[in-house]
Amino acid sequence: MMLKRRLMICGAAVALSTGVAAPAAAEPWVRGYVVNTYAYAFRYGGRPGFTRGSEIEPGVDCPHGRSSHFTTDAQLRIALGRQKWRSQQEIDWIIAPPGLDQVRERQGLRFDILSRAVSYRAYKRGIATYVNPWAAEDPGQPEVTSRIGEGFNLDGKVGARDFVSPAGEMGIDNALYRAWGCDAPWRGDGNAEFDLRVRDSMRFGLFTMVLRISGNQDPMNDSDAIVEIGYSPDKIVKDARGGIAADYSYRILKNAQYTKLRAKIINGVVETEQVEHLHAPRIAWVFSQNGDANFSKGKIRLKIAPDGLSGTGLIGGYRNWRDLYAEASLWNNAGQQDIGRHQDHVALYFALRRNADGMYEEKSGKYNGISTAYRITMSAAFVVEADEPMNIPIHAYDLWRKKAFEAIKANTIRGIETRIPQDVPPGNFEAVYPRLERTIKDLPSKDFFLKTLDRPHYPDGVGMDEAGNLIDDQGNCIDKTVVCGPP
Amino acid sequence: MNRNLGIGLTLAALGAAASVSFAVDAQPGAAPTSAPANPAQAGDVLPMVPLAKPGVVTVQKRDGDRFHLVVAGHKFNTRAEIEKYLAYRAAELTLEQKASWFTFIEARSKGDTAPEPRSDPTGRRYSFRMDYFRPAWRYKAGGAPAWVSWSPFSGAAFIADPKGITDFEVSADIVLHKGAMDGADPLAFEAQAVADLLINQVSPPE
Repeated sequence: MMLKRRLMICGAAVALSTGVAAPAAAEPWVRGYVVNTYAYAFRYGGRPGFTRGSEIEPGVDCPHGRSSHFTTDAQLRIALGRQKWRSQQEIDWIIAPPGLDQVRERQGLRFDILSRAVSYRAYKRGIATYVNPWAAEDPGQPEVTSRIGEGFNLDGKVGARDFVSPAGEMGIDNALYRAWGCDAPWRGDGNAEFDLRVRDSMRFGLFTMVLRISGNQDPMNDSDAIVEIGYSPDKIVKDARGGIAADYSYRILKNAQYTKLRAKIINGVVETEQVEHLHAPRIAWVFSQNGDANFSKGKIRLKIAPDGLSGTGLIGGYRNWRDLYAEASLWNNAGQQDIGRHQDHVALYFALRRNADGMYEEKSGKYNGISTAYRITMSAAFVVEADEPMNIPIHAYDLWRKKAFEAIKANTIRGIETRIPQDVPPGNFEAVYPRLERTIKDLPSKDFFLKTLDRPHYPDGVGMDEAGNLIDDQGNCIDKTVVCGPP
Repeated sequence: MNRNLGIGLTLAALGAAASVSFAVDAQPGAAPTSAPANPAQAGDVLPMVPLAKPGVVTVQKRDGDRFHLVVAGHKFNTRAEIEKYLAYRAAELTLEQKASWFTFIEARSKGDTAPEPRSDPTGRRYSFRMDYFRPAWRYKAGGAPAWVSWSPFSGAAFIADPKGITDFEVSADIVLHKGAMDGADPLAFEAQAVADLLINQVSPPE
C-alpha cells in the first residue's frame, strides 16, 4: 500500500501543499484536504436538553421539536387505523401482542411486530409501503418553519419560501432542510444520530472524500483557482485521540464521484462556479448508500482557516428527491428504522415531493429535484494522483447487499413513476423478513401474526437471510448445515 | 375495481440526467450514477381510470380558479367509492389546468355541527388529508321523485339504506393553485399525490 504512510517531503513542499507557510503571491500552489464530517446543512434552533411535554427540544426551527412518529400507543393506533382493511383485533394485538410476557426478548419482539405492521400501510393489503409510499395516505411531517437556513441561492432568485443565510444572504434554496429538518435522527446540535453515524462510518473506512485546491496566486486570495472533489480509496488516518491525523496522503479517483471546478478565493473563502452536475460522494453510513450524489446546478463554498490546516464548507445543488428517499429509507429495513427512531418514511416521502423545487421537467410538469446543501469540515492532507487507474473497491459481502439495494431502489422509483405497485426484491429485509420468523417462535399468538401480517414472499431458494444464505418462504436456510441469521 | 390499460410505451429514463457536462474539462471515467434509469418496460400495464359515460362528470368554472365538480350516477356502491372518484377527478382537473394543488371549499350552512378542520396541533404538514375531502350529496331513494340533500357537516347520519338510492349527485367546489402548496392548510390537496393514491382505486359510477 502506498498510503498510510507519512510522506517524507522537504519543508518547502509541505509549505506548498498545506500552506503552513504560504508562498509569495504569483506562485503555483496546491492544498489538499480530507473531509472528516459530512452532514446535511440543517440549522439547529432548539435548546439542548429542553423538553416541553412530549416535545423534545422545541426551537425556532421546529416549534414542536423533533419528529415523534410511533412514540405512543395512541400514535400507533392512529397510524394503523388509517388502513381501513385492518380489523380492530389486528390493531389491538399489534399494539399488545397476547402472550408477550412469556417471551424472553419481549421488547425486541414487540418492536419487530410493530415494524412489520407499519411496513404495510397502503390502500389495500399486500402492497409493501416503503417500496410504494405513494400508495399510502400521508401521515404528515413536521417541517422547519424558521426563515434562517444555510445553503446557496441556486436559482438566482429570491422566493417567498427561500431562507436567509446566517450571514444575511437572501434567496437561500434548501428545501430539504424544510422537508426533513425536524426529522428526529437528522436534527441536533452537532449530535444528530445520523450525522454521527456518517462521521463514524467515514472515520472507520466506509468512504473517504477529499478536496484539492490549487492556483497560481495566493492560497487565500486567488481569482483563478481550481477545486477538485472526489472519492479516495484510502481510509482516513486517525491520530491517537481519534481525531484526523494531519498531512497523510490520499489518492483521489477521477471517476464517477469526481468533479473539477473553477473557483475564486477571497480572504480564504473559496467560491466555485455553479456547474450542471457536481459529482461527489453521497452521505452514507452503510455501503449500500455509497455512490455519486450528483448535485444538479451544484457549487461549493469553503472557508479555509488562516493557517491552512483545516476548513469548513458547503456543497450544494439539487438532488433527485426519489434518490434521496430511497437512500434514506431502504438501506436495511425501513419499518424498524421508523419504529426505532420515531421517523415515518412515508411522511418523509410526501414532504420531499411537496417541497421539490428544482430539476423541472417540462414534459411531465414535475420537479424531480429538491434543493439542498451538505456541510463539511476538513483537515489538511496530501491529495495525490493514483499511480494507476482504479475503481472504488467493493467487498464480496457488500456486493450482494449493494445489488439488493439497487434492485429495491429501482423498483421504488419505478413504482413512483408508473403507479404500479412494486415488490420487494430478494436480499432486502423489509417487513422484518426473515428476522421475525425467527424471533416470534416462542410467542403463543405467533400464528395470528404470521398469518395476518403481510410480508414479502419468495419461492424456496430465492429469498435470502441477513448473511446472504438462501432461505425457504418460512425463513429457514435451504442449507441445513448453516445457522440462519445475521453474519 | 381497477382496470388497466396496456400501453406499449417506454417512458423516458428517469432519475439521473443522461448527459453530464463538466466545468473545466472532461472528467475521466465520470458517469452519472445517481438514480438508476428505470423506465416502465414495453408492455407494462399502466393503471388508467376508464372514461366516464356522458353526464357522469360535470365541471363548471366559477370565479377565477374556482371550479364546481359534480359526479352523478344511478348505481350506488359505497359512499367512499364515489367520493374517492370525485377526489380523483378534482386532482386530474388540477393537473389538466397546469396547477399543482387545490383547496377544497367546504359547503357549510348555518346550524352545521361538524367541527371545522384545523391545522395539525403538533405542527405536521400534509400533502393531503382525505378525511377532509367532504363533498355534498343529493339523492333520490325508494322511488321518491324529489331530491334529498345531505351535508357531511350537518351532523345528520348518511341515508340509512343507501341500497335504495336510484339517483345521486356528489359535488365539490375547489380552488386551483400553482407553486408550493400550503401543507399546513387542512383543506389543501397536492393533486399528483392524490391522483397517485387513488388511480388504482377508482372507477366512474354508472
